[in-house]
Amino acid sequence: MNNRFLINYTPGSTPLHKLNGTTKVIGFIAITVAIIATFDFRIMLAIFLLCMAGVASMKPNWKPIAFMFGFLIVTNGIIGSLMVFLLTPESGLTKTGMETIFWQSAGGKLYLSWELLWYAWAMFFKRVASLSSAILFILSITPSELAAGLNSIKMPYKICTIVSLAFRTIPDIARDFTDIKNSMMMRGVELENVSLGKKLKQYIMMLVPLLMSSFAKVENISNSMDLRSYGKCKGRTWYSEHPATKNDKIARVFIALIFAWWIFYVVFFKHIHAPAVDFWCPWVPKEISGYWF
Amino acid sequence: MLKKFVGEWNTKTIVAVAIGAALFGALMVWGSIPVFTNTSLTSAMIVPVVVGALFGPLPAMVSLLVGNCLADLIGGWGFWFDWSVGNGVLGLFVGLLPMYGADIKNGIFKIKHAIIYTICCVLGNAIAFGIVTPIMTALFYSADLEITFIQSLAGGLSNTAVLVIVGLPILFILSKRYASRTNLVEEPEE
Repeated sequence: MNNRFLINYTPGSTPLHKLNGTTKVIGFIAITVAIIATFDFRIMLAIFLLCMAGVASMKPNWKPIAFMFGFLIVTNGIIGSLMVFLLTPESGLTKTGMETIFWQSAGGKLYLSWELLWYAWAMFFKRVASLSSAILFILSITPSELAAGLNSIKMPYKICTIVSLAFRTIPDIARDFTDIKNSMMMRGVELENVSLGKKLKQYIMMLVPLLMSSFAKVENISNSMDLRSYGKCKGRTWYSEHPATKNDKIARVFIALIFAWWIFYVVFFKHIHAPAVDFWCPWVPKEISGYWF
Repeated sequence: MLKKFVGEWNTKTIVAVAIGAALFGALMVWGSIPVFTNTSLTSAMIVPVVVGALFGPLPAMVSLLVGNCLADLIGGWGFWFDWSVGNGVLGLFVGLLPMYGADIKNGIFKIKHAIIYTICCVLGNAIAFGIVTPIMTALFYSADLEITFIQSLAGGLSNTAVLVIVGLPILFILSKRYASRTNLVEEPEE
């Protein structure tokens, strides 16, 4: 469990770490809207490579990252694609405009086409791109920088405090959870290899002390914040925020380009010259799909 | 009425909402049993019950919204804000507790409130995962509506199950605990 933490609490030393909070937050927003805007596999691939290059430049611990991608492949890649195949086998035709069936079940209700496989792959890759952007963001930022960055895009500072405090509390909760689990095992409660109903019951038994110990901290934390005059003024300054450096300016130009491209893409390719189908597929001819680029 | 809806945004509420969000995020990532793709029987659903009962609907909503964004960032499935918004709406409905007279802090939680609470949970799930999330998914991610509906149906059902089966006993336990603390009666002056 501890192995899976990606949250940074101390500022790192690579150039991406040293950008200021505002740049990181607007960069993440830009990449997220770019991912939302499109299903084009080529753009997804570009975003994925960009994010992974960023992740690699930060020299992270690769083990939890590999675990996350493995988890995604099992839950979304395999199970999600199976669902597409079982529920809407015709989406190969509706999404890419063509159908080349290479396998059919006896009744003819289920069938596999190459386009369906491509569609499932493109959907899965969208998730991969989204995950890589989330990893890039979480690796580069500390909770305080996140709060400062959110505040600089006009988020009320009380919300920013909530975000940063929530990030900081997670390790505590994980530790409490492990403690409770260990003490239950000490008392001889079987936690692994039990039925679903029993597992649920045990989760509830662990939940009550976890809730109690977590919410018991509220009083302490809020008192110490009150003692330091939290919330007395309208605004707030942020210790972790620093003025924009040269690298920040370069990064912001780059982010502005992503935004500009996104607006252009939505206006031009979704409204003026909309292709006939949603998904670009490498072997579907231009005349059918409408992707002339 | 409006004050009950918004809740009191003092330092205590802020800290409670933050801890609720952290709990929600942590439980969503580590405390859930997967039942379907993207959906699981998650113990995290207990958070809006407690936050809503103690602080009101809007804090519960913020708690879930922030908590879900947090879980998306650390959970390893990417950022899907359509589900975060859905969960936020659900938090709003679950957190309506003080609006219909259930006052956990003073030990008031009766069968009548339990029934309204159950209705709120079902209604909230129906609106959040039957309307809000599918519309946002279709609008922003243009995924298959059919699959989204099935996913959100599974999510909504498992959420309702957790909210009712686990939430109700916890509400009764909490109100009993608070009641035993607040049974001081002012002595008549002599």
